[in-house]
Amino acid sequence: MLGVFLTGCDRPEPFAYRIPKESRDVSVPGPVATTNTPAEAKAPAPTSGSGMQVLPGMQEAADEAGTILYTTPTDWTELPASGIRKAYLQVSGENGTADLTITAFPGDVGGVLANINRWRGQIGLEPATADQVASFTEQINIFQHGGLYVEIDGAPDSIRAAILPFHGYTWFIKLQGASSTVFENEIIFKEFLDTIEMEGHAH
Amino acid sequence: MGTIFNFFSSLKLTVWLLAFSMALIFFGTLDQVHYGIWHTQKLYFESFLVVWQYPVQAPAYDVLGWIRIPMPGGYLLGGLLLVNLLAAHITRFKFSWKKSGIFLVHFGLILLLISELLTDIVARESQMAVDEGGRNNYSQTLREYELVLIDRTNPDYDQVHSIPAELLKSGKVIDVPETDLKVRVVRYHPNADITRDEERARQSPADSGASQRMGIAVVPKAVTYDEKTVVTPAGFFEVISAESSLGTWLTSTIIDDRFPPQMVTAGEQEYEIALRDKRFYHPFEVELIDFKHDKYPGTEIPFNYSSEVMVHHNDSTKNQKALIYMNHPLRYEGLTFYQASFANDDKTSIFQVVRNPGWLLPYISVLLMGLGMCVQFGMHFFKFLGKRSH
Repeated sequence: MLGVFLTGCDRPEPFAYRIPKESRDVSVPGPVATTNTPAEAKAPAPTSGSGMQVLPGMQEAADEAGTILYTTPTDWTELPASGIRKAYLQVSGENGTADLTITAFPGDVGGVLANINRWRGQIGLEPATADQVASFTEQINIFQHGGLYVEIDGAPDSIRAAILPFHGYTWFIKLQGASSTVFENEIIFKEFLDTIEMEGHAH
Repeated sequence: MGTIFNFFSSLKLTVWLLAFSMALIFFGTLDQVHYGIWHTQKLYFESFLVVWQYPVQAPAYDVLGWIRIPMPGGYLLGGLLLVNLLAAHITRFKFSWKKSGIFLVHFGLILLLISELLTDIVARESQMAVDEGGRNNYSQTLREYELVLIDRTNPDYDQVHSIPAELLKSGKVIDVPETDLKVRVVRYHPNADITRDEERARQSPADSGASQRMGIAVVPKAVTYDEKTVVTPAGFFEVISAESSLGTWLTSTIIDDRFPPQMVTAGEQEYEIALRDKRFYHPFEVELIDFKHDKYPGTEIPFNYSSEVMVHHNDSTKNQKALIYMNHPLRYEGLTFYQASFANDDKTSIFQVVRNPGWLLPYISVLLMGLGMCVQFGMHFFKFLGKRSH
């Protein structure tokens, strides 16, 4: 029993171990899961792979950015947009789905290059330099405001996105998912961008 | 030698130890209000000595705040009670059938004390959250943390190099296991908020990763034992290779899987660095097929929570379907899964995962004690009946 006691008192040590491959579903942080328990309230518990908190001020900032209006393309599914997401749509294809999310943040959120490289990292690509960015971006008009259209091709996922600076905020409209589904819906995505309006800012 | 034995086997010692136990439970219960159950258990019952101090929140603290009461902790009391009982049996108790009931009760008590010590040492509790339609192959603790460097370069598996948070003391340099890297703990905060503050981030020790890219800064705060609050540690860590520094990184349990990974580049090798709740990976995945949250009709009062799960083991012969609900856990591969909680508008079920190899011992000991009492009182009772009939 003394042996059990002494071994149990071992100091923790660093160690290494193998796990099955994990995929990182990296996206803009979402709000902490609310927890209800059968008896008294307990500390909020983690959700699978996403138990984190919105950074202080993020939710308020997202709310202040305003409301975006759009027309959901035919055959696309509109899903509940919770927390700091302004919209969440999904389209299916033969090889998988692609998700369209719309988010908004005050300021420039670190700049175009930082955000593009964050997206590149999400689909397993190396960061691009400022010079390289011009080769996969182009100017675009959304709601009569200048924005940037971004094309990032990867495997198995790709991204088509628009970055729109608007009245002190930066809006990110991003379609990400199975590459073939993204390519098939590229024109529809561009048409979707044409339907966008910012509520209360009619020109 | 004889005096020592007499001391440890004496009934006086038993009475003193029981009195101290009552005092320990009393003061522990008082403190549990402020410290929460987890911390009180560690402080009072998984220790050799504890000092109760007059709580700040109690009335007349300015007059009585100096009061400190030291007392033996649970391990000391439990250990001495065990020694006392064993010593008494060796020196004073002689087995006879007339006292067989008492022997059974004492044996059950000895087993109970041993089982509690075993549980403290080897039992492990964690939580597993699974989304409906999703799967999870790991559970995590809520009060233990680890700094990890994850190598995801192998196409068949990921390699996790873990440093327990107990080792993360400011200024310490720790070898990263199975690598040539070291981690220097620049600063570790057991609890901290994360905020967007470009100026503060620029002045922080971090020169790489999310801190600089996203202007994230740390605001340390006091550790809380309130069970309704989540503690979120954060730290600045410098990763050092044999040749040079690979940067100083801010990590926090808030900066989790939803954020882009923070990648430390060591030559041609890349590691994701993160601070997170300590994880235990299992050789199986728990798939949540359906979570039910039934309420009494017309009310918001719950009467049932249940999770229909399918466990997919690496060895498919061990796959198992189960329904987990209150008082009906799943016992699988030496683990017990209890329906603990839920989240995300009933879309996520949270299980308490308990590993306790000695879980049967308390049942056996209580059974023995009950049997012993029945035997002893039964003998007296029938003897009494026998006398009466004469």
